[in-house]
Amino acid sequence: MNEGNIVCTVCPTSCLIDAKWDEKELISIDRAQCKLAWGYISDEIFDPKRVVTTTVPTETGKNPLVSVKTAEPVPKHLVLDIMDTLAVVQAKGPVNAGDVIVADVLGTGVNIIATSNSD
Amino acid sequence: MRTEQVDVAVVGGGPAGLAAALSAKESGAEHVLLIERGERMGGILNQCIHDGFGTKLMGEAFTGPEYAQIFINRLTNTGVNVKLDTMVMDISSDRELVICSSDGLIRVKAGAIVLCTGCRERTRGAIRIPGTRPAGVFTAGVVQEYMNIRNLSVGRKVVILGSGDIGLIMARRLTLEGVEVECVAEILPYPSGLARNIVQCLEDFEIPLYLSTTVVDIHGIDRVEGITLAKIGPRGGIVRGTKRFVKCDTLLLSVGLIPENELAKKAGIKLSPVTAGPIVDDHFQTSIPGIFCGGNALQVHDLVDYASMESEKAGRSAAFFAGAGKLPSPSIKVLPGQGIRYVIPHEVSGNEPVDFSMRVKSPEADRYIVFKQGEKVIRRMRQIELAPAAMIRMRVRSDRFQRSLDSLTVEVAD
Ligand SMILES: Cc1cc2nc3c(=O)[nH]c(=O)nc-3n(C[C@H](O)[C@H](O)[C@H](O)COP(=O)(O)OP(=O)(O)OC[C@H]3O[C@@H](n4cnc5c(N)ncnc54)[C@H](O)[C@@H]3O)c2cc1C
Ligand code: SF4
Repeated sequence: MNEGNIVCTVCPTSCLIDAKWDEKELISIDRAQCKLAWGYISDEIFDPKRVVTTTVPTETGKNPLVSVKTAEPVPKHLVLDIMDTLAVVQAKGPVNAGDVIVADVLGTGVNIIATSNSD
Repeated sequence: MRTEQVDVAVVGGGPAGLAAALSAKESGAEHVLLIERGERMGGILNQCIHDGFGTKLMGEAFTGPEYAQIFINRLTNTGVNVKLDTMVMDISSDRELVICSSDGLIRVKAGAIVLCTGCRERTRGAIRIPGTRPAGVFTAGVVQEYMNIRNLSVGRKVVILGSGDIGLIMARRLTLEGVEVECVAEILPYPSGLARNIVQCLEDFEIPLYLSTTVVDIHGIDRVEGITLAKIGPRGGIVRGTKRFVKCDTLLLSVGLIPENELAKKAGIKLSPVTAGPIVDDHFQTSIPGIFCGGNALQVHDLVDYASMESEKAGRSAAFFAGAGKLPSPSIKVLPGQGIRYVIPHEVSGNEPVDFSMRVKSPEADRYIVFKQGEKVIRRMRQIELAPAAMIRMRVRSDRFQRSLDSLTVEVAD
């Protein structure tokens, strides 16, 4: 069995979690202040993931940019590739928070969605 | 000048102001006016496009704009009157505001006022870096607005001075946009930002963080051409032989935030020299009856959830004051003891449960936060990790207060 301290980075509280795990799964966590830690720590050990947040330009909107994010955390090693994909994306027409900007980005099964409105 | 009469006037339409206006309305204030100088509500959250907002209040991590939108949606159809592009110019101790918009100047007489004006960034002047005055020196929050709202870029090679959270968030943001971030220099021997941002924003991208290090010179005539870094010794002097030149075209300053309280000063509200925000009681009432304060104007928050929660209480208290004309007066002074930089509220009545927020002076591990009245411990909580960057929140139940005593001390102890 393995043990270690991992900072939960889901929110600014930054709980320093005591984690125990074996080759296959997370066995226990201690010192978490909320339930969001379990999924994050498990991923951080076996398949680190991040939510990518950035902006894309709008076509017509009052605001030159809308902010976007991956609707779910994506594998950490894809973060810069996703940025490259989004570098050439422009949002068409009026955009509302929640609208899908890119479906299934890089085959991850995760959509890029808007988090703000263009107008 | 035209005059309007309202029950509760809320100054500032950031998350604090939104929460205060909503709760004032829900607590029965009929005419609630929310005044925001910008063209939209949401305050600083509009430029905080990263995620991690709302985990405490909603059990889910939202981005800044999404978190703001949840409150903006809740406010719609409540009958709260929102004035955008409107600046509050002046407030007086008898709760009169002068506001200015394209309609001209209007005088607003309010039953109660809640100040939610947020905070501003410390600048180069405030920390006195020597050297030339070339273009390319920015505060981190300004760059955040440039990049995330206005679609402007600032440079190609960046050094960040100060490990405050905005600087760390911007280190990641710049890296993602293809800008080279050379390093982050922090004058203190420990990071001033949250552990989460050190991990997510620096370690993920292998950006070096140099502690006990600062910028001692800025080079360049028209544009920044580089900076000199040096190690700082325990007594604040430059360590000999540690000066080194780092080539860059941009210097970002993330050297702290200061509550914005120009209006509070005009009204004669007493400010704390430690937080630079008003002295408040457990209703978030300032030294002037009927004027309340919450959010970053009161104390700089790392979690928006707590800014919302405290302002909700401020809004509720304001509605109550507007109706009843007074609130129970506080009788117990709250004093920061050993290891504590400040505690808010500064005074409490002891009749209701109180959510205290506080910051420690320096990092500590495995200690207790202890609330004492006289020799009696009224509340004690173990803290595995204590850092100045992380605000601590603790609730004390009303039956724990000893109302016969006039003070309470909070300290870090074994
Ligand atoms: C870079 C950064 C990253 C952060 N990251 C996180 C995070 O990941 N998770 C989290 O939970 N929290 C985070 N926070 C904290 C959170 O954003 C703040 O606690 C919160 O935004 C404070 O809200 P506020 O309403 O007090 O201030 P603000 O959002 O600053 O709002 C103040 C408003 O008042 C208006 N105003 C000021 N003066 C006047 C006047 N005279 N007349 C009219 N209007 C006026 C301003 O225009 C502004 O809209 C972060 C903060 C920063 C700076
Ligand atoms: S465990 Fe919960 S409270 Fe602690 S950092 Fe993670 S999300 Fe935040």
